[in-house]
Amino acid sequence: MMKKVTYLILLLVSLSITSQNRYLTKTGTVEFEASVPSFEEVKAINNSVTAIINSETGEFAALVLIKGFRFKNALMEEHFNENYAESDLYTKATFKGKIIDFSLDGLNSEVKTFRLTGVLTFHGKTKKLEGLNLNITINENIITISGKFTADASDFGIKIPKIVKSKISEDITVSFKFELKKK
Amino acid sequence: MKRKLIVLLVLMLLAFAGYKYIYQDHRDIQKEQAEFVVSSTSITKEFLQKSIEAEKKYLNKTIEISGVITEITENDITLNNNVFCQFSSKITTLFTTKDSITIKGRCIGYDDLLELVKIDQSTIIE
Repeated sequence: MMKKVTYLILLLVSLSITSQNRYLTKTGTVEFEASVPSFEEVKAINNSVTAIINSETGEFAALVLIKGFRFKNALMEEHFNENYAESDLYTKATFKGKIIDFSLDGLNSEVKTFRLTGVLTFHGKTKKLEGLNLNITINENIITISGKFTADASDFGIKIPKIVKSKISEDITVSFKFELKKK
Repeated sequence: MKRKLIVLLVLMLLAFAGYKYIYQDHRDIQKEQAEFVVSSTSITKEFLQKSIEAEKKYLNKTIEISGVITEITENDITLNNNVFCQFSSKITTLFTTKDSITIKGRCIGYDDLLELVKIDQSTIIE
């Protein structure tokens, strides 16, 4: 009996620890741009991205539902979904990694730079991101993480047809911003 | 002369049609008829048990979902802790948690990190 109670207490304590360290958002922003100067912009924003950080360990995960990318141009959005990202088949992009030396101590409303390492999966292909710079602040218990990186369309098995090659950049700039609340 | 005019007219029509095609309007989810009417519990069950089939069935479709509000912010409402509905603009009607509600929107997929069905371009039905 005593043993059971001890286990139960241990379990409850460990549960409360894990939940206390969890900060998350369901409405993070991921934006990408593959525009070529003097042509129509190729740009989309997704503001329904889920991101979670464990403030104790610095472990970070994000999930992007591809259908949530919105373009200004409806036809471009359709082509993106059907021919490039194939979002019926590959419905999500995920990132799993770790913010190196992350600690809540010393974080404040001033921007501090951290490095993120992990794996990004999109369109059925996985790529390692290493030493990606992150800007992190904390303000009224909300952790804000932002950053940007460049991805190569071919790294993710996305072919840009010859006919539009001059209008879509092979180098895609991806930027993101997450405002994570304690949950 | 008349022939030239006709050619010009046809060209103009083609250009207009081409323009309309390239710059066509986005879907208007609010005006679309919902393809599926479900409860938040039943749709989540489908995604949990048969994720691939559920994705095929609901992805990018306009659906009507009913449930009880468990969380509400300026721009989104969560139903029964398992369906997350995002609005394009601020929610103006006053609701609180525990209210029953029906929402129409577009299903963008299943978030397996938080075990949530995600809906965007939501509008309140009742």
